[in-house]
Amino acid sequence: MKVLVAVKRVIDYNVKVRVKPDNSGVDLANVKMAMNPFCEIAVEEAVRLKEKGVATEIVVVSIGPKACQEQIRTALALGADRGIHIETDAEVQSLEAAKLLKAVVDKEEPKLVILGKQSIDTDNNQTGQMLAALAGMGQGTFASEVVVDGDKVNVTREVDGGLMTVALNLPAVVTTDLRLNEPRYASLPNIMKAKKKPLDTTTPADLGVDVAVRLTTLKVEAPATRQAGIKVADVAELVDKLKNEAKVI
Amino acid sequence: MAPEQIIATLKTLVDDGKVLTDPSDLDTYGKDWTKIYPPKPIAIVFPKTTEQVQALVRFANEQHIGLVPSGGRTGLSAGAVATNGEIVVAFDYMNQVLDFSASDRTVVCQAGVITEQLQNFAEEQGLYYPVDFASAGSSQLGGNLSTNAGGIKVIRYGMSRDWVLGLKVVTGKGDILELNKGLEKNNTGYDLRHLFIGAEGTLGFITEATMKLCRKPDNLTVLVLGLADLTNTMDVLQAFQKKLDLTAYEFFSHQAMGHVLAHGHVQAPFETETPFYALLEFEAVSDQVMDDAMALFEQCVENGWVLDGVISQSETQAHNLWQLRERISESIAPRTPYKNDISVVVSKVPDFLREIDAVVNQHYPDFEIIWFGHIGDGNLHLNILKPEDMPKEEFFGQCEQVNKWVFEIVQRHQGSVSAEHGVGLVKKDYLQYTRSPAEIAYLRAIKAAFDPNNIMNPGKVIDPA
Repeated sequence: MKVLVAVKRVIDYNVKVRVKPDNSGVDLANVKMAMNPFCEIAVEEAVRLKEKGVATEIVVVSIGPKACQEQIRTALALGADRGIHIETDAEVQSLEAAKLLKAVVDKEEPKLVILGKQSIDTDNNQTGQMLAALAGMGQGTFASEVVVDGDKVNVTREVDGGLMTVALNLPAVVTTDLRLNEPRYASLPNIMKAKKKPLDTTTPADLGVDVAVRLTTLKVEAPATRQAGIKVADVAELVDKLKNEAKVI
Repeated sequence: MAPEQIIATLKTLVDDGKVLTDPSDLDTYGKDWTKIYPPKPIAIVFPKTTEQVQALVRFANEQHIGLVPSGGRTGLSAGAVATNGEIVVAFDYMNQVLDFSASDRTVVCQAGVITEQLQNFAEEQGLYYPVDFASAGSSQLGGNLSTNAGGIKVIRYGMSRDWVLGLKVVTGKGDILELNKGLEKNNTGYDLRHLFIGAEGTLGFITEATMKLCRKPDNLTVLVLGLADLTNTMDVLQAFQKKLDLTAYEFFSHQAMGHVLAHGHVQAPFETETPFYALLEFEAVSDQVMDDAMALFEQCVENGWVLDGVISQSETQAHNLWQLRERISESIAPRTPYKNDISVVVSKVPDFLREIDAVVNQHYPDFEIIWFGHIGDGNLHLNILKPEDMPKEEFFGQCEQVNKWVFEIVQRHQGSVSAEHGVGLVKKDYLQYTRSPAEIAYLRAIKAAFDPNNIMNPGKVIDPA
């Protein structure tokens, strides 16, 4: 069974994000970039499926500038077999990403597509769902467990109030939630082996997809800074403030 | 003066509410992380200014009462422990950053500024304060300087001492001295600043410090390598240092990692089990540096020194790999470890390690030994864990017997019995393994010059003549 995994290059989770002075966006100059954490979980799940003998080939795809190849190489070091880089310097939004991935799905015909549920930069949580719709596949989103059973995949989803398990006919789209697995580190011997794994480059034009932007960002602002707290002398003052100033009781 | 009168006077010397005498406060503020010596202070005072500290010192001189300084209380040598009716001077409320100069790249801090607060302040200014260790979230600058704290970046950035450009101190005689005044160059005779750094509060109390900041390192990347043998730590270090400027080089044993993993929330770096691990950190500023690191790794594997390894692919992973090293102390704390903090010059490390290993195996066959440390600085943290069914007193008694063997090896290699934890009460009886009798006599003379009445942290480091 062939598995396709999509990974996105985003600002490192640990970096303190700064807004550009002109409020046009987030400052990316000299900022550490890394694989989106939910995509790391997607890669790990695919590798585990391969280790169980369920998956036979893992293809990893990423959309973005040339530097995205770093994240593809990381996925190859973690256990993916080959990479596809859709190179573009344009800002790619969810629907365009889904269309590009649909084009790759048509070409590669994977049985299972695994994506992160969202990327930590734009937090849209759309691409997986849009891809499922465009490709006419079933979708299991927010997965906390993925079990392939013959022609079906059972996906346990984290939903409000508990867990829901859906059975999907293959091929299907799965998006990962935080508790699906704990991704491993890329070992140095595997990083060196990954340098020799195939990585094909293509472009949105080659895939026949127009990536023109449909949404315009008007303004990006940092969250308001938190006001300093105060100390109250006694319970009576606390109750008074909660009642009359905060108006919460 | 009766205890009630002392407490009443203390209340006139500091702000309202800044004297505590409740038994639970006396217990909390009367000790550090050692927890061996039962605390018994008379009161805890919280000065807010240098002048209040001076008033406390003058009062202590009049009454011949000892003063014990207290910061983040993360010390491991009982340097900040009050066992004998002393007044504890806690710096928690002297926690202001007073001044910053972008062109000098210096920051003036009160002694109670927490290490992490200083690190964060530097970062907000686009700069970096490089002294870092596991307890940076609690330890205070005054304590760091009084113990000349080292930590995990010494191999590149040196000890706390190297970042001090000025100090304001209150001496044991009650004088306020401003030492070196932030100058980078100042060759005007004896540099008293350096006497107060590492003095553990025995000469006077540091109340303010002018600290130097530097450029923030770029793209810090972490390697964790599985080593075939203890002495391979030095082979790997030398191989990497030929090509790269390391910002950290740490090692730990498989047992040490076992405790961290059992403690939870941390993931093993790889499946291969190796007896020892090395953690390296460097600035991956270009593809060339990364290629060099990869080539060095291959070379170490070919030589049989390294069996497996991982490299951080993100800051998150770098942070998580550091947890393997930083959480060791915390994870073994429930086992009441006996801590040794010994060092030699780097070239002597392999022989030193072999001899210590032999002695420890001979004398502690039933004890669990945890090895880790800043091995790139020649600094080894040798921790001996208490068997669960053995009483604390018996355990420490046995450890002290074996200390003699360990410290004789340290002495033979001209090493230190306390590399970065200080002397306090714990290592006081072993000072002669590192310091000569003539040297100790000079230390006593210096103590007498600054603190003739022996009121400043009495009983720590050395006893007066």
